[in-house]
Amino acid sequence: MRQDIKNLKYVFEPDSVAVIGASPKSSKLGNVVLRNFLEGAFNGSVYPINPKYKKILGLKCYPSVSNVKKRIDLAIIATPALTVPSIVEECGKKGIKGVVVLSAGFGEAGNYELEKELKKNAKKYNIALIGPNCLGVLNPHKRVDSIFFPIYKFGRPKPGSIAFVTQSGGVGSCVVDLASDFGIGFSKFVSYGNATCLDESDIMEYLAKDKETDAILLYLEGTKDGKKLLDRLKKITPKKPVIVLKAGRSKGASKAAYSHTGALAGTYLAYKAAFRQSKAIEVSDVAELFQTVNLLSQPLPKGKRVGVITDGGGLGVLTADAIEENELELASLSKKTTSRLAEILPSYGSVGNPLDLIADADAERYKKAITAFLDDSNIDSVIVVVLFQAPAVDSSLLDIIIRASDRKKKPILIVAMGGEYTIDSRKALDSYGVPTYVSPSYAVEALKKVTDYSFFLKTRKR
Amino acid sequence: MQELNPFSVLEKYRIKTLPYRIIKNKIELKKAGKELGYPLALKIISRRFTHKKDIGGIRLGIGNEKRLLTSYEDMLEDIGKKNIDAFLVQKMARKGIELIIGGKKDAQFGHMIILGMGGTYVEIFKDFSARICPIIEEDVGEMVNELRSHPILQGARGEKPISMKKLTSLMLKICKLLQKEQIEELDLNPVIINHKGYDIVDMRYRR
Repeated sequence: MRQDIKNLKYVFEPDSVAVIGASPKSSKLGNVVLRNFLEGAFNGSVYPINPKYKKILGLKCYPSVSNVKKRIDLAIIATPALTVPSIVEECGKKGIKGVVVLSAGFGEAGNYELEKELKKNAKKYNIALIGPNCLGVLNPHKRVDSIFFPIYKFGRPKPGSIAFVTQSGGVGSCVVDLASDFGIGFSKFVSYGNATCLDESDIMEYLAKDKETDAILLYLEGTKDGKKLLDRLKKITPKKPVIVLKAGRSKGASKAAYSHTGALAGTYLAYKAAFRQSKAIEVSDVAELFQTVNLLSQPLPKGKRVGVITDGGGLGVLTADAIEENELELASLSKKTTSRLAEILPSYGSVGNPLDLIADADAERYKKAITAFLDDSNIDSVIVVVLFQAPAVDSSLLDIIIRASDRKKKPILIVAMGGEYTIDSRKALDSYGVPTYVSPSYAVEALKKVTDYSFFLKTRKR
Repeated sequence: MQELNPFSVLEKYRIKTLPYRIIKNKIELKKAGKELGYPLALKIISRRFTHKKDIGGIRLGIGNEKRLLTSYEDMLEDIGKKNIDAFLVQKMARKGIELIIGGKKDAQFGHMIILGMGGTYVEIFKDFSARICPIIEEDVGEMVNELRSHPILQGARGEKPISMKKLTSLMLKICKLLQKEQIEELDLNPVIINHKGYDIVDMRYRR
């Protein structure tokens, strides 16, 4: 691994942080970032840097990093673009190994020479440099947070095992905000902007070895080095799943991506080919990205046979349709399961898959059905379609589902369509790592992608 | 630009071509007919026209010398001598499924190879899959499976499945050719394939 990639350790896990361009004014990026560290319970030293002030937010403020006597691991820079290359030089001299440049005004604004100078200075000292023109990084495990969106407006995710690498700060932050609302945890978040020193492939190379990361999400508009991207993806996917959302698939959108970040969006066909070849899981929009991420906390399915449990017949049929359309299979229940289920259903019910527990089903009936499905070796994954609206379904069902999911035997997906009460129930499940979906087809599409990936891993191991 | 003989680049990579001759006059034409044996196909080679079929530049299933000569004269007259650089006399391909195998150089990823259902309606059906070169055997299997029409290749309606071994070997060689010859764009269309093997009926490329 290249030394500057290794040095990402100082970006993600610093013991000391300098905020360059720190400010007492709450509208300034340097103020938001400084407050992230102070209010976010970062467990290390924080040094505001700005020659204009003696003190900011009660902390001693230094004119430059060279005035700080103690070691600094990470510098976050939020000063005007023209000042950045020389600041990075100072950081290098000070021995700082991690730098995040939030400032914009480089290649994306036509200032290519300035960006070259920045790159030269960072390379000279083997600095792991993220940006410029980005939101920077988030490590919920270590409370590292350079995101300049105020905490009250942008929910920070809890610690988790998913790393998110994004070319667009805007798209990335919206996904993280939404995911946080559903209690989905992240191991790392990186908005890498212009990728001047470290690009998506470099960052993923680091994350592939990161113990806190089990899966990687990538939002990509264009790469500057397709061969490298393909090569890295091929190396990572046998170990960790990579979900990728490529923007700029249409001809019109390619142009927008070009002006957006200074990198050529490339022809989509080649990207598609590369993702197929490297077994990255490609999704086509933000909603699908979110849905697939949700599922990664579950065990991988061993096959494509799905069991469906519901208390609403119609939703069961819609789920069965989606299963066939996505080339998965409805499992045929074992004899043992059939007789077990016959005992729990009322006399007017009938055993089958989808299994209709009937509208008067209570949590206990659900529990027995879910257990029977988990025990049946003819079933590889379980979709439970719940009408939280039904009278006999109470909140004890949440506990039953979470406990079943904790057994980690098979993936369990919940489909629940409805208003406020249902949404609250879904959030509770998601925050315990049970993926929930608003529609049967969303659940099945996500399951299909993960099943395909699981098959790929199986053939690789053989 | 491609040479007068588009197939010579294939021969360099030991890719099997249908027996053919490039001819410029009647004497050569007669000789080619005798040596190759009938039935034959006669096609114009023209730098001016890329779609030979649209201008009547292809005659298929020519069964004897008399018909070969009349086809030759008709085409000279209809298309015009100045538009024709030479003629290709080619053994007729065997029966099978029409595929297209293509190549293109991408700015970010380098050469990629495309496999699709071929023939006249390639751009209408748009049934194709792609991979970045170099590829491995497994990739070819996946490319076939990604085609909507894959059941046809795997033996629909009592037909035998196509020779995956021959297709794979051809695709791997084409990837090598694309990279080594620095090809910008390449079309092998159609490639007729059946359970025994393939025949490359037509091709064009651009460096």
